[in-house]
Amino acid sequence: MTVQTERPPSGPVDVAKRGESGPARPRAASRWGALAPYLLLLPACAASVLLLGWPLLKDLLLSFQNLNMAQLIQHATEWNGIDNYTEVLTGDEFWRVTLRSILFTAVNVALTMFLGGLVGLLLARLGKRMRFTLMMGLVLAWAMPVVAATTVYQWLFAQRFGVVNWVLDKLGWHSMADYSWTSDQMSTFFVVTVLIVWMSIPFVAINLYAATTTIPAELYEAASLDGAGAWKSFTTVTLPFLRPFLYATTFLEIIWIFKAFVQVYTFNQGGPDRLTEILPVYAYIEGVGNQHYGMGAAIAFLTILIMIGLTAYYLRIVLKQEKEQEEAGL
Amino acid sequence: MKRKLISAIGVAGMMISLAACGGDNGDGDKTGADGYAGETLTVWVMDGSSPDQWQKDVQAAFEKKTKAKVKFEIQQWNGIQQKLTTALSEENPPDVFEIGNTQTPAYAKTGGLADLADLKTSIGADWAESLNESSIYDGKQYAAPWYFANRVVLYNKKIWAEAGIKDTPKTRDEFYADLKQIGEKTDAEPIYLPGQNWYHFVGLTIGEGAELVKKDGDKYVSNLDDPKVAAAMETYKKFQALSKAPKDKDEATPQQAEVFAKGNVGAFIGMGWEAGTAVAANKKIESDIGYFTIPGATADKPEGVFLGGSNLAVAAGSKKQELAKEFLKIALSDQYEGELAKQNGVIPNKESLQTNLKGNAVAEAAAPAAAGGGTTPLIPEWAAVENAPNPVKQYMTAVLNGKSPAEAAKQVEAEFNKRLSQQQ
Amino acid sequence: MKRSLFGRVWPNATAVVLCIGFVFPVYWMIATAFKPTGDITSEDPVWFPTDITLGHFRTATSADHFWTFVTNSLTVTVLAVVFSLVIALAGSFALARMRFKGRRGFIIGFMLAQMAPWEVMIIAMYMIVRDASMLNSLVPLTAFYTMMILPFTILTLRGFVAAVPAELEESAMVDGCTRMQAFRRVILPLLAPGLMATSMFGFITAWNEFALVLVLNKDAEAQTLPLWLTSFQTVFGNDWGATMAASTLFAIPILILFVFLQRKAVSGLTAGAVKG
Repeated sequence: MTVQTERPPSGPVDVAKRGESGPARPRAASRWGALAPYLLLLPACAASVLLLGWPLLKDLLLSFQNLNMAQLIQHATEWNGIDNYTEVLTGDEFWRVTLRSILFTAVNVALTMFLGGLVGLLLARLGKRMRFTLMMGLVLAWAMPVVAATTVYQWLFAQRFGVVNWVLDKLGWHSMADYSWTSDQMSTFFVVTVLIVWMSIPFVAINLYAATTTIPAELYEAASLDGAGAWKSFTTVTLPFLRPFLYATTFLEIIWIFKAFVQVYTFNQGGPDRLTEILPVYAYIEGVGNQHYGMGAAIAFLTILIMIGLTAYYLRIVLKQEKEQEEAGL
Repeated sequence: MKRKLISAIGVAGMMISLAACGGDNGDGDKTGADGYAGETLTVWVMDGSSPDQWQKDVQAAFEKKTKAKVKFEIQQWNGIQQKLTTALSEENPPDVFEIGNTQTPAYAKTGGLADLADLKTSIGADWAESLNESSIYDGKQYAAPWYFANRVVLYNKKIWAEAGIKDTPKTRDEFYADLKQIGEKTDAEPIYLPGQNWYHFVGLTIGEGAELVKKDGDKYVSNLDDPKVAAAMETYKKFQALSKAPKDKDEATPQQAEVFAKGNVGAFIGMGWEAGTAVAANKKIESDIGYFTIPGATADKPEGVFLGGSNLAVAAGSKKQELAKEFLKIALSDQYEGELAKQNGVIPNKESLQTNLKGNAVAEAAAPAAAGGGTTPLIPEWAAVENAPNPVKQYMTAVLNGKSPAEAAKQVEAEFNKRLSQQQ
Repeated sequence: MKRSLFGRVWPNATAVVLCIGFVFPVYWMIATAFKPTGDITSEDPVWFPTDITLGHFRTATSADHFWTFVTNSLTVTVLAVVFSLVIALAGSFALARMRFKGRRGFIIGFMLAQMAPWEVMIIAMYMIVRDASMLNSLVPLTAFYTMMILPFTILTLRGFVAAVPAELEESAMVDGCTRMQAFRRVILPLLAPGLMATSMFGFITAWNEFALVLVLNKDAEAQTLPLWLTSFQTVFGNDWGATMAASTLFAIPILILFVFLQRKAVSGLTAGAVKG
């Protein structure tokens, strides 16, 4: 699993190469050539429309309906205009959950990116054997299916016989001996955060490491000729070179962590007292759990809008880059 | 019944004419001896509610009589309402299913349950009226009462003997003193009582004569701030303090009977059949299990209990209405209803069958309290309250974690009222 | 550049600590699964199991329909990964190599598609499948899983395709290959690491999914392993041995796949990074 990014057009070497390549122009003039990209994209688009577009549309339609147990059982359609939206948006619960979701995502993404970045740089610095060992460790954590990982964390943080409580107790923190991590908002978030950061670091670290291996050595040489120290060459060479990777990885982490339904729901069902519900969990509990399906659909739709809002900045960057590349001749 | 878990729901409503999707789905008139050969009836029963032997016997009788097959599918309480709601909307819903008594009014209102008026006429004339109450909605019979039960104390005789206790307690104070003594004289956990055994808490409120909801105009609202509810919660808290069980979990996570089965717990408050769960986990515990009625404030009146129960209902969308009713006629016949009562120690749906409980230790422990038992409010609005996260459970955990009952009641009031007034 | 002793030691020391931190939960899962119950619920943790038991694995696999779940999970996951790779390969080739109107729109479209919060759309999906009378079937499951991993697959493969030098393709065509042949003989082999790297994501996503299968397939014959794993909490309560054995069994295929594919994936990644 990797991140691919568009190098900024000002980036080294490849722009010029691209300019001269212009693949098979003569053929492209043919009619087939003009249609080819659309034909190639057709299956993907058809699948998206059928399997994503349709459920989305259905969800949108449901969000304007009063759809509860009876209506679902009876297959009855009862339009209720924008009632669901009014109810959700005028209550303060939705806004509280939204704010919590955004904070949750921000904290987790920041931790993941920062720590993941450090681990990535560490990988680049290690000797071959040590790097392989650490890489294997990362891969094991990365490969843990999230359902299994969440179960394992429940066991690690179990109130009785959980190894974390035992260690804290032995370290002298005796009040933690029988501590129930699920009984408090912050401690639940703490465990979920540890879990998410643990699972997400490997992706970031390995990607960044892979990216650093492609930094041309000449750039460093040039920097050191200019008298740059380690820190200077990091800020003038490494960081700018890695920036597109960082953008792309951050984007992915934001959407993955924002959608961290399984971790939060499986670990403590959004409890205690609904205090750890993030938007997807809130939508699920109100919709499916409470069997208030129309309301759930409205929350789901709002969730999607918020997510698009959160990532709009990155999407704009991508649009701009793609445009510049196209102008540069792809 | 074993209303262990969270049940979820949103009450639904909108009175759509029941005739639109009701009974006659081309069942035909296949009443001959071989009329149903080749058909299979799907029956959902809840985990632990009917013993394997009972299922086998009913199956054999049913297959003999109708030539059709019956398939029992065991369901977990956890998430059952979501599963049931979607299943009832499908083309092939379970034909017959067990449904909790407090859940029944909400489902009756959705139109997902078939009208069983004719069954009531043919076999239900002497169903105990109080037990049949939850099956009737808007004057119609939407389910058939199956079995009822209330909680008892299950205790480990060996540990109690070890602590030097000779007699089972008769009052709440004696009970507390005994448990204290176990804590002092043995290294066992005196009682396993998780913070959210909320049906026991409901029982305590019934004992105090408290109501969980009250009417405010034409709406129901929370009544948790009633001092009587607070008194019930104080009793709960006092006993819970003797347990190492988590304050934010109910009795099913982990299954309290399995904790008990390890042999290091003095007692727990549960359904009689949970002994079976314990024995399944540890065979050796069988001879140590004893039962007694949950003691009340005074010796002459046992503790209030939640009178749980399960009904059997037929899906309105089932294509085998007649066959489903044939099944009910067999399962609820005196023979098999009596057998269930005998095997599980549960209260049968007719007074005349109660003789089956003679000599059953569980039933004898449960019976004295049953008379003073009650239920959660039998209103369709109630079901939404039981959805996870259940505000009553949150109230309990809040009090156990140090809030005053009044503060805790205030904390969950908004959520409680929101659920009671949920749009249907 | 010479480094001090400290400069050489701390990266390795940090690496060792990190390695332990990352591996420990996985280790603890496997170790617990093999420990007898007495060792699991002991006041002091048993760090290295000496008494090995397979009992928990027997408990876990003795669940009804276990092998049906295994077969279903494998079928659905493999098919979803293969379908999405095939569909994505075509699309990503167009996005990486061709210039056409609306190209940027497609890219943004797939990025948006990647954000779809599937868990919250479940009722909509359920109603669609129910009304099409396709409940209790692996077909809609496979289709939706394919879609869940498709956007990521397209976007990732696009980078890999772009990384294969266009000159190779051109010279093949100069040698008389059609574009299709050039693609098959030249590009596809070079893409193999990229395909593997991408398929890992698909595998793990499809293998994990449980919210959708929970509502779509009530019939045990059409259920998958994640349901079996999540049901443990209800059925086994605090039997951590069996729960960890189940988790281990569930994680093993993915762990093996990752460790096996990792080298190729990293080399693929590096190759992909050469030309973004």
